[in-house]
Amino acid sequence: MSPAVIDMSVTWLLPLTVFLPWVGAAAVLVAGRAGRTLRALAITFAVADAVLSILLIPQASSRTGFSLVLGGAFGELSFLPDGFGVYLAAVAAVIGCLAVIFSVDYMRGEEGQSRYYSLVLFFIGAMSGLVLSANLLMMVVFWEITALCSWALISFHNDDPKAVAGGIKALIVTGLGGAGLLAGALAIYAQIGSFDIPTFMEKAGGFPPQLLAWIGFAFLAAAAAKSAQFPFQTWLPDAMEAPTPISALIHAATMVNAGVYLLARFAPTFSPVPGWSLSVLLVGMVSAFLAASMATVANDLKRVLAWSTVSQLGFMVYAIGAGAVFQSQFHLLSHSVFKALLFLGAGAVIHSVGTRDMREMGGLARSMPLTCVAFLIGALALAGIPPLNGFWSKEMVLESGLASGPFWAYIVMLVTVGLTALYTLRAVWMVFFAPPVAQHAHEAGPAMKTALIPLAAGALVSWLLAGPFHDLFLRTLPLHFPEAHAEAAGMAATWTAALEVLSAPATWLAVGVVVVGALVWAGRSGFAWIGTRLRGLRRVAEAGYGFEAINHGISKAVEGTGEGLRVTQSGLVNWNVGAMVIAVIVLLGIVLLVGGLGG
Amino acid sequence: MSVNIWTIVMVAVFGLVAIGLYGLLIIRNLIKVVVALQIFAKGTILVMVAAGAMSGKPAVGQSLAITVLVADTVVTVMALALAIQVRRWSGTLDTREISKLRR
Amino acid sequence: MGWPLELDLLWPSWVWMIALPIVTSPLVYLLGRVFQRVRDASEKRRPRGAWKANPIRWVSFGIMVLSVVPFVAAWSELAAGRTLELTVGIISLKFDGISLLLSAAVLVLGALVSLFSGPYIGHETGQEKYHALLNAMIGAMLGMGCAADLFNLWIWFETIAVASYMLVAYHSDQPASLEAGVKYLVQNSAGSMLVLLAIGLVFSQTGTLNLAELRAAIAAGTGSRLLLIASGALFFIGFGVKIAMVPMHTWLPDAHSQAPSGISAMLSGVVIETGVVALLRALGVIAEITSMWGALLLAFGAVNMIVGNLMALRQTQVKRLLAFSSLTHVGYMLLGLGFAVSFGQPEGAQGSAFHLLTHAAMKGLAFLAAGSLLYALRISRGDHGPLEAADLAGAGRRYPLIALAFTIALLSLAGLPPLGGFMSKWQIFASGVRAGSPLAIALVVFGVLNSLLSFAYYAPLVSLMYRTTPSAAVTAGAKVPAGMTVPLVLLAVVVVAFGVWPALASGLTVPAGQVVLAIFTRQGGM
Repeated sequence: MSPAVIDMSVTWLLPLTVFLPWVGAAAVLVAGRAGRTLRALAITFAVADAVLSILLIPQASSRTGFSLVLGGAFGELSFLPDGFGVYLAAVAAVIGCLAVIFSVDYMRGEEGQSRYYSLVLFFIGAMSGLVLSANLLMMVVFWEITALCSWALISFHNDDPKAVAGGIKALIVTGLGGAGLLAGALAIYAQIGSFDIPTFMEKAGGFPPQLLAWIGFAFLAAAAAKSAQFPFQTWLPDAMEAPTPISALIHAATMVNAGVYLLARFAPTFSPVPGWSLSVLLVGMVSAFLAASMATVANDLKRVLAWSTVSQLGFMVYAIGAGAVFQSQFHLLSHSVFKALLFLGAGAVIHSVGTRDMREMGGLARSMPLTCVAFLIGALALAGIPPLNGFWSKEMVLESGLASGPFWAYIVMLVTVGLTALYTLRAVWMVFFAPPVAQHAHEAGPAMKTALIPLAAGALVSWLLAGPFHDLFLRTLPLHFPEAHAEAAGMAATWTAALEVLSAPATWLAVGVVVVGALVWAGRSGFAWIGTRLRGLRRVAEAGYGFEAINHGISKAVEGTGEGLRVTQSGLVNWNVGAMVIAVIVLLGIVLLVGGLGG
Repeated sequence: MSVNIWTIVMVAVFGLVAIGLYGLLIIRNLIKVVVALQIFAKGTILVMVAAGAMSGKPAVGQSLAITVLVADTVVTVMALALAIQVRRWSGTLDTREISKLRR
Repeated sequence: MGWPLELDLLWPSWVWMIALPIVTSPLVYLLGRVFQRVRDASEKRRPRGAWKANPIRWVSFGIMVLSVVPFVAAWSELAAGRTLELTVGIISLKFDGISLLLSAAVLVLGALVSLFSGPYIGHETGQEKYHALLNAMIGAMLGMGCAADLFNLWIWFETIAVASYMLVAYHSDQPASLEAGVKYLVQNSAGSMLVLLAIGLVFSQTGTLNLAELRAAIAAGTGSRLLLIASGALFFIGFGVKIAMVPMHTWLPDAHSQAPSGISAMLSGVVIETGVVALLRALGVIAEITSMWGALLLAFGAVNMIVGNLMALRQTQVKRLLAFSSLTHVGYMLLGLGFAVSFGQPEGAQGSAFHLLTHAAMKGLAFLAAGSLLYALRISRGDHGPLEAADLAGAGRRYPLIALAFTIALLSLAGLPPLGGFMSKWQIFASGVRAGSPLAIALVVFGVLNSLLSFAYYAPLVSLMYRTTPSAAVTAGAKVPAGMTVPLVLLAVVVVAFGVWPALASGLTVPAGQVVLAIFTRQGGM
């Protein structure tokens, strides 16, 4: 195809990929009552968008594909179909499509389905817009829209106070970080007069170092909050009140990736800032370790998966901190697939058994065979067992961490790998293989199976895309990969990389740790004495290492201040006029003093 | 004496204003509150007159004062009408009693 | 007729825009009484039971719509670069960028409120008074926007106040309304008098009241500097009562929650803003002497934001919560103006102007939506109690359109994209960061955090509406007439439009911003 034709098709393909789901959202809202029309509309739009996003991949380029000027401080609506953007948009759209299909069975019979599907479609469009944006204002807009959808879907069951509280908490905690993104974007605008991302990344070298540092750390805060990293991790477990397909889509496979995406995109700009890369690495490392430890003691299945997500995102952030952007994105791809798989599998289990507590499950391998196999595949990928996708990407992350990061950090990550194996095996055993506690359990419905099977297949084979994936990055991200030499293109690169991984000693060390983790679980009765000794630590871990207490303290303090302030609204007109008189006297005093001094 | 007569008048009139404001702070009967408001208003009107004289345009100051007088009369009528309604429906004119809307 | 539209019949078009609502106001009242007499007489002959809304509402609405025509003419003339002034004796009027902005907001919101109020007060007595007063208030606001001398400004200001006193206490048989009206009257009158004192001080020092002449005289150094600065402080507090600056804000929660919902929408949406415009005009003349006015605007803005949020957090009555939220939004407007005045940021003034428009739309929408629910759930059954948050439970199923409109309003107020509230706040914050000073950036961060905090009290309302189990009030609620849903739909469209295409407003915000900066920069003239 000639370049002109490519450009033309990208120009309409980009806004279509972002905004078609929004059209679908409006259509679904109008369709109103639940029924076949509603579901058909939702599925049609979701599938259409998935197809469009896949069509976008070959069109990837390093040039802005679409631009619409909005004027002044409002920048322009522009999209850039580069490596990060197209693959994350495809992930969002494809997993979104599978989540919608899964929801057909999961949400059957529920109230407010038009609201549900409308919000999901709205979210998919916003997520695509976020990753494809070439303009910081638009990125902030889409960032906040995903937060809005996340809140609305977490508190979907509005009658449940836990869900409502979880939704508000999610929005406020991610919003705190979002303030960092907003401030950073505005600071960039103040400095160069434009919100355009490629322009900023080119001119970043000319920024005063102090300013660049502030922006870099502000962006780090925003990313940490969105990806539920330390110290903003408290919202994700509470977000598990959402219907499980939402947990799979938003809180495992797409929205939480936004933080990692942000760090990856701006990594070459901020890595010269002293202390930035190390901070990123530390944030990732601490999150990975703490979250893994909390997953080990959790009894709610979705909570385990939530902490697991935080932990795996920690691996990705750690990789970026060590300068390994490609490896982090590859792990992100693997993680999206297997984590969505795990959550949807968990959704099937929860839907069938009616509880989220793993202690009330058990023996489900017999009654839910397909779900069990799917979940097991996801679990093996998470634990990092070859030849599943999680193994390859995690090993790449660890290797790059060993090569360019501090050694002690590598050791912590290695221990985390062991913990990962431990909690994964624990979860699988408690749900599927423990002595049965649950009375009635039925296999997943047909729509659920339709969503689970492709994801399971993906977990088995997605690692094969490593080569083309790398090519995509080399081709479209000149700032990240300045030395884009002609490498072995396509699948050949995959095999090269695979051989590299298999032959590295670090790999076998990691596999060994995984085996150790598994053995610890298998022989846990023998290790019970460790459990009693560490009981205090367990309690601390269950309580979230004090972060929950901090959150609680802050909200109570704010409410208390508000309550205390109510005294000023006394209802007495005399007091009201009194306030006015005091204001006059004080203001006169200030004004005359300053004015008298010649201000 | 280099102090302008009108300066003295101004100070006196501001004193009137202060009395009115002080009344608003401590008076509890609604009708008396209206009276205090009136003292405040009339003081302000006199400021207008004095201001006109001080700046050498007495006619303008006086015509402004009369206009304000008219506007203020309308407000007073409304205030008294409200006071009557309050007395009718709440049975009291005490400002401490008509403070149900609070916090 | 070509462009610009020239509709100068005897008077310029923009004077017609002001005159129409005011002059026809007594006629509306009389005609309304006639209609009422006719209706009462026919009821006596053949009782039909249900009290229908007085048809005078259509006349009133028609006048509002008609007033848009001279407004458009004036806009086109202004855009073509003409100076629109009129001087009669010592009274002078001028139609400039600020007048344009205020008139647009007042006319659109006023027309929609007029339409909404028809069925809303359809069960009450004295409807003709309401419509006449609403028209008079709107006309007075249009006039105040065009005032070019201090005294004129004060007279229009007082007219707005008098009309609003009666409208707030419209339900004159409810003790709560009366209490709100009394407190509003006492505080607002005190404020007006303080403004008059300030005007008197300025007059005594310079001998003129015309804004342009005053600016020139003060720049030339006439009058005692200290007395003029004192007058500035008095302007701040006096107008500050109307603007609901903390600590002069205590009348606001009572008045805005007790007034009929259409009036609440007007009060929060445009009447507060007329106070801001008046303050700007008045400060503009003494801007030469000192540069601390900007700092004061920033300080008041910051305090308003946090006090409004903290108080709103603890409210259980819906309209009271919205009233406190108005405090916060006034804070944003003052912040933007502060950035413009202190740091010379044009985006600050434009952002404030944009926020004036979006706030009028979204707060208007919020109050009208709450009013629709109040009507459906309580007023139609004769219950004059306030709308509690708990009443909203399950409203989403029974009243889907109203719930959606209310949700759009609340999320826009919280500053979430793709709605108008986000865009106007964004512009204000952008100007603050551009200013570059650490204070400005700290205030921007403070503003963003406040925006986040406000979500904590808007979100629960939305969640309540979409519950599956309806409250007792919702189950027993009545239908909402079409006259009340049409304004909701229109305002919702406006809010969303401002959110996805913020440049739509620039035809109004840019001229207004230019005027504000011209007033406050040392080189600018009037």
